[in-house]
Amino acid sequence: MPSRYELLVRVILWVAVLGLLASNARKLSEFAGPRLRKVAFAVVWTVVVGGFGYGIWWVIERMGPKQFEPTLVQFLMVSFLLFIIGVAGVLSRRNIIIIFMSIELILNAVNLNLIAFSRYLQLNQAALVDMKLIVNPLAGPVFTIFIIVVAAAEAAVGLGIVISLFRNRETVAIDEIDLLKW
Amino acid sequence: MFQLHGWEAVLFYVLAIMALFMGVFVVTARLAVHSALFLISTLVNIALLFILLRAEFVAGVQILVYVGGVMVLFLFVIMLVQTRAEEEARVRLYTRQSTPAVLVAVLLALSFILAMQPAQPAFRLPETAAAQTAAAQTVDASESSTMQNTERVGEALYRQAALPFEIASLLLLVAMVGAVLLARGRKQEKLYE
Repeated sequence: MPSRYELLVRVILWVAVLGLLASNARKLSEFAGPRLRKVAFAVVWTVVVGGFGYGIWWVIERMGPKQFEPTLVQFLMVSFLLFIIGVAGVLSRRNIIIIFMSIELILNAVNLNLIAFSRYLQLNQAALVDMKLIVNPLAGPVFTIFIIVVAAAEAAVGLGIVISLFRNRETVAIDEIDLLKW
Repeated sequence: MFQLHGWEAVLFYVLAIMALFMGVFVVTARLAVHSALFLISTLVNIALLFILLRAEFVAGVQILVYVGGVMVLFLFVIMLVQTRAEEEARVRLYTRQSTPAVLVAVLLALSFILAMQPAQPAFRLPETAAAQTAAAQTVDASESSTMQNTERVGEALYRQAALPFEIASLLLLVAMVGAVLLARGRKQEKLYE
């Protein structure tokens, strides 16, 4: 049990310290501000990223790692999402070159699909032949190579059109190219 | 059954997420040059996914033709056609139908993922059969090595698909002549007439 005198000294000291801090708050924040902000930023990000990783680990541990091993379905999902991104790009961008790039994205999604199915057929060939199905796992890569060839030809011709268009109209925005529109 | 194990599974997720994010950046980038660079990243990621699927020849063709050929063409055209307007944020980047397009795209993606959810267990290995099938898969992988797979693809290209192969070469020739004709300027037109 502190005496009354001691209590008084403590209160005065606390008030003095807090007053000093308050009166020099701006200077202090100028001194420690950027660094403190950086430290706080780092701590928050570490907590967020670590928590995210821990959450993923927790889910995988709980459901069993085997549940998350990618099969054909996961490849189809990636392929479909790439396809959708490409379609959104084609429909929403104004720059015709970026539209061409979105078309390349779509073609690549199809290639991924074909190769994934080819691998699936290759691994299950015996079972599928037993079911009296005609299986040719080489059709996937061959088709993919032809798609790449056609994409290269399409890109060459399309970019030639873009160049001649830019020479005549000084624009690459598709909604300003409306000569054939009525 | 077809299922990736261990590090291959981790690699699949990393490559797939990278490819998808880079694809989104292709569509949303302000400058066409950035878009092209992100597209190169996407194409390399997809080539690595091809290697994960044991299609090494197609992965090599993808890198050589797409990244080495088509993307260089794209970059050249971007440099020829570059306008300052996009850099300085003076023009709209998107058309007017962009909001419904993105909305429909997101809805389609969600519906596809939801539709594929019930199909997932059918493609998954049963727990008991997992070990022996994994062993069989490794044997299969060692048998059909890189060389053999590439060899078989080459054989199919020159035997069963010989006619389409020749037609493809003709298509490339026609595309080349067409591109040269389309892209020539006034001066060259006068020169040839």
